[in-house]
Amino acid sequence: MILLQSLNSSRDFLPILLMFIVAAGFVSFVMVVTQWLGPKHKSKVKADSFECGIEQIGNARSPFSIKYFLVAILFVLFDVEVIFMYPWAVNFKSLGAIGMFEMFTFIAFLLIGFFYILKKGALKWD
Amino acid sequence: MEQLVKFIPLFPLIGFAIIGLANRRLSKGVTGVLATGSVLASFAIAVIIFMNRLGGDGQAVTVTLFDWITAGNFSAKFSFLVDNLSTMFLLVITGVGTLIHLYSIGYMHDDDGFRRFMSYLNLFIFFMLLLVLGDNYLVMFIGWEGVGLCSYLLIGFWFKNIDYSSAAKKAFVMNRIGDLGLLLGVLLIFTATGSVTYDSVFAQAANITIPVVTTATILLFIGAMGKSAQIPLYTWLPDAMAGPTPVSALIHAATMVTAGVYMVARSSVLYMMAPISMDFVAWTGVITALFAASIGFAQTDIKKVLAYSTVSQLGFMFAALGVGAFTAGVFHVVTHAFFKALLFLGAGSVIHAMHHEQDIRNMGGLAKKLPITHATFLLGFLAIIGFPFFSGFYSKDEIIIQALAHKPIIGYLLIFGALMTAFYMSRLYFLTFMGKFRGTEEQQHHLHESPLSMTVPLMVLAVLSVAGGYLLQGYMEHNLTLGAAVTASTEIEEHTLHGLHNVMWGVTAAAIVMAVIAYVLYVVKGQRPSSDADMKGLEKTIYNKYYVDELYESLITKPLNSISSFLSNWIDINVIDRLVNGTGGGINALSGQLRLTQSGNTGFYIVAMVLGMALLVAITVFM
Amino acid sequence: MNELLTLTGLGLFSMIAEIFNFRKAIFPVIVLGLLGLLGLCYMDWGSYNSTVTHFSMMKVDNFSIAFTSVLTATALFWFMMSRSFFEDQTSMSDHFSLVLFALTGAFCLTSFTNITMLFLGVEVLSLPVYVLTGSRKRDVASNEASFKYFLMGSFASAVFLFGTAFIYGATGSFNLENIATYLSTQPQLSPLFLVGLLLMLSAMAFKVGAAPFHFWTPDVYEGAPTIVTAFMSTIVKTAAVAAFFRLFYLSFSGIHGEYADIIWAMAALTMVVGNVIAAAQNNVKRILAYSSVGHAGFMLITILVMNDFAAKSLLYYTAAYSAAGIAAFLVLYLVGSANNGETPLNAFDGLVKRNPIMAGTMTMALLSMAGIPPLAGFFAKYFIFVSAVENGYIGLVVIAILSSLVGVYYYFKIIIAMFFGKPDNLPTYFLTPIHRFLLLFVAAIIVLTGLFPDFVMGLMTI
Repeated sequence: MILLQSLNSSRDFLPILLMFIVAAGFVSFVMVVTQWLGPKHKSKVKADSFECGIEQIGNARSPFSIKYFLVAILFVLFDVEVIFMYPWAVNFKSLGAIGMFEMFTFIAFLLIGFFYILKKGALKWD
Repeated sequence: MEQLVKFIPLFPLIGFAIIGLANRRLSKGVTGVLATGSVLASFAIAVIIFMNRLGGDGQAVTVTLFDWITAGNFSAKFSFLVDNLSTMFLLVITGVGTLIHLYSIGYMHDDDGFRRFMSYLNLFIFFMLLLVLGDNYLVMFIGWEGVGLCSYLLIGFWFKNIDYSSAAKKAFVMNRIGDLGLLLGVLLIFTATGSVTYDSVFAQAANITIPVVTTATILLFIGAMGKSAQIPLYTWLPDAMAGPTPVSALIHAATMVTAGVYMVARSSVLYMMAPISMDFVAWTGVITALFAASIGFAQTDIKKVLAYSTVSQLGFMFAALGVGAFTAGVFHVVTHAFFKALLFLGAGSVIHAMHHEQDIRNMGGLAKKLPITHATFLLGFLAIIGFPFFSGFYSKDEIIIQALAHKPIIGYLLIFGALMTAFYMSRLYFLTFMGKFRGTEEQQHHLHESPLSMTVPLMVLAVLSVAGGYLLQGYMEHNLTLGAAVTASTEIEEHTLHGLHNVMWGVTAAAIVMAVIAYVLYVVKGQRPSSDADMKGLEKTIYNKYYVDELYESLITKPLNSISSFLSNWIDINVIDRLVNGTGGGINALSGQLRLTQSGNTGFYIVAMVLGMALLVAITVFM
Repeated sequence: MNELLTLTGLGLFSMIAEIFNFRKAIFPVIVLGLLGLLGLCYMDWGSYNSTVTHFSMMKVDNFSIAFTSVLTATALFWFMMSRSFFEDQTSMSDHFSLVLFALTGAFCLTSFTNITMLFLGVEVLSLPVYVLTGSRKRDVASNEASFKYFLMGSFASAVFLFGTAFIYGATGSFNLENIATYLSTQPQLSPLFLVGLLLMLSAMAFKVGAAPFHFWTPDVYEGAPTIVTAFMSTIVKTAAVAAFFRLFYLSFSGIHGEYADIIWAMAALTMVVGNVIAAAQNNVKRILAYSSVGHAGFMLITILVMNDFAAKSLLYYTAAYSAAGIAAFLVLYLVGSANNGETPLNAFDGLVKRNPIMAGTMTMALLSMAGIPPLAGFFAKYFIFVSAVENGYIGLVVIAILSSLVGVYYYFKIIIAMFFGKPDNLPTYFLTPIHRFLLLFVAAIIVLTGLFPDFVMGLMTI
């Protein structure tokens, strides 16, 4: 209770609360409405899992090459790290020489990592 | 020159270490030479220091070896105090010690444990030296405990004999009772003065209240009662005769048992402040002297007679301390060390010749067969009964004179004690050496004089027993100023003293008369002590030492034993064990339940963590 | 700051060294580097300027140098102990670099002045350890432990960030000094802040393995390779508890009254749970895991007391515990590796006859952990108890003494097995020179720091 009172008194959080209510409300509204409006016909064929219209063969959870996973995770990694450059670029002037130096350090680390990945053969496909 | 004192305890310690460690790798000859030599070396240094001090100003010198314990405001140095008192004891311990080591080479030569025996003797000398050299109560306590240990080891030297090892146990336990008193006394002194060093304790003695100093000195004296075999803690000493005879001579006559006298004399400043303690000491001493002497009348074991005589003589010494005649007490320690060691060694020589026969009922007429032993024993006997100009004459007279001057009742009782001593010692002497031989044929056939290594110490001690008193009389009177310099004799007026000396001539004459009576009884009339079965009445009671051991047995030992067996058979099993095992079982059961929380299920873990956090928030926000 | 650069450089070096065929050089370079690091700590000692912060992120002070020294020395021992384990594997360089990065995180944890840096440190320390826990790739237990640790660790990190957000919301700053200033100027404590504080406290409790957030500890310790368990129970624990102390010392000590009861309860619960559960275990590794939980409880007492003497005793405790931990886990590792990685109690039967050095050092280590004088562990506990009693936490000290009595029971289970068990069909061990040296050296440290406790205690005043 104390918690809520203090939140109410803190005007800064009011928009966030509003947004939270709106987001949650919209999602639940849509979910309820689709359940209610959509037609339902349950049959065995319909509940069956299918792939491209062809009947399923074997287990869907078959192992696939780790390489897919590796490439995907490396992509995410470098992708995220490059995003770091956007705020830096925006503040480039105000950060000055130190900012420049820090970014070089960052890129150097990144490059060592990249070099490591290459040499370990993470990107080799066979 | 006093710095040399560091080496005095060192030599016996080295001797002990080498003999103890090398054990069978050394031949018996080398062992004997090493053991005796190390004590002899200490004796040589002691003599050098003594001579040097004789020429010097006689000031006490403290020699510090190292800082021993420093904890907060408490500090004890491991240091030695060299003054006239400790030098006197040094001479006696190392001198008599050397002779007894020498004697042991002959006496113990055929024993399997010869090396063990010699190493224990050396260790004993080391601790005894620490006891008298320490400049504080703590070092003295180390020595005190150490000699107790060695005494235990040596009484039970023939530990395969159950009686002997229980005699050792008895000695140890009785000493522990006394040690507790000593320790409490030292602790009390420490709390009262903040120090355990003699100098600073005595310097602050005036600041201690009388009740405290009385309690402290009585506690200290309880320690002395145990170590010096005073009533009621004396019964261990006669039993301690189970040890080899040189042990009886060295530890249970000449040195260790006088540690109590040393300690009281050392603390004379404190005792002088506490008249009640002084009375306590005097009365304990005099009662012990008479009581033990009376037991001596009916004993038939040659060593037991000497043992009771030792208890009695120690009583004399304490009586002297108790009347304020500290110097006389210490003087008697020295002369007693000479003649009692001599008597014990002579007895040992007799036992050696008689093939371990100790009962005087089976002896008699040994004078012809053992001429040297007889001659020296006779001199020792004359010394102990106070025959004029023998050593005992000077010291015992001094004690009785001082007692008559300060506490006359004590003096009269002591005179009575001296007469008793004269009688039972004469009885011992005549029964052993005069008359006809009463042993078996075989024993008579094998009778022989002891080897030179045993007779030489006898002869040296005989000389000291005869001349020691005369030689030391002057030194004692002028150089041993104990009891805050208020030696008793200075207070007594000259003519009183003169009168008392005349009384003493009478006493001496009476003692000689006692000896003559004994001669008539045991030699002329040929009376002999009855055999165990024939004893009755008073004689039987005295022979059985007034049943004191049995009294202790039923009053203390039996109840203690039954309490202890109750504790171990019932309390321990039904209460202690149940508590302990129950605690352990409880923990194990709890543990068995708690470990179930560790299910290995990550989901459960996270739920538990969330619940924990919720609990924290709830407690903090709402409480 | 130089310490941080050295550690990062060492990590980078050992990461790429294998690629350039410097495999043989890795171990010597790491040892030299760590020795150099100790040298840096020594040089920085007293010559740093404690008012200078690096971008208001971290600050070198007595506290950080002292704990970094302990961590570095422990790491040095750890490398000496684990060299053979990792050299057998193809990916030695990866493992070593992971450890060095973890150490970098540990350094951040001893010298942060900003919650961001604290979070970075926690993550840089934790992520490599998740991987190391799973470093026996084909061992299901190792994989399971790694995954559990990762899941719960991420959960704790999330809680930590959640708490940080609340605190930022209340104070508008990540900087510990600013937070402390806020607390001293605020007449009424905002509930927002309190909730944030509690969440951070929970997350830190998770990291040190305090009840009720300790559940990961036994499972992860047991599943991880023994060498990695040694790393976790010494370096990770030291760094985490140092961070815990530093965070509360630098920022929250002004509102000590608000959370004292919670830490009191947490310490009591941790000591009881850790020691009591350990009593029923039959696997030595699991015994040590639970005992590590118990030790976390003892360390928490210093956070409750929170003064100069408490910091010193924490330093001494972590040093003593790390030394004993290295020794115990090395013996455990050697016993386990001759026994298919299993370490039941009866694998220690009669160890004294099979290898006296191992048994002797193990005994020293266990006696020290149990707090038997005059070993280091005794004084470690003694100092903490003294600080607690001086501050009036007598009840807690009673609980602590009772639970360390339970501790004596299970430590002696191992000692009794080593000395009185019958070694039937058990192997004798031959020590490599480096292991023999390490065992003897650590045993000497346990004894000497016990005999001269002032040497460690005097290292630091905060």
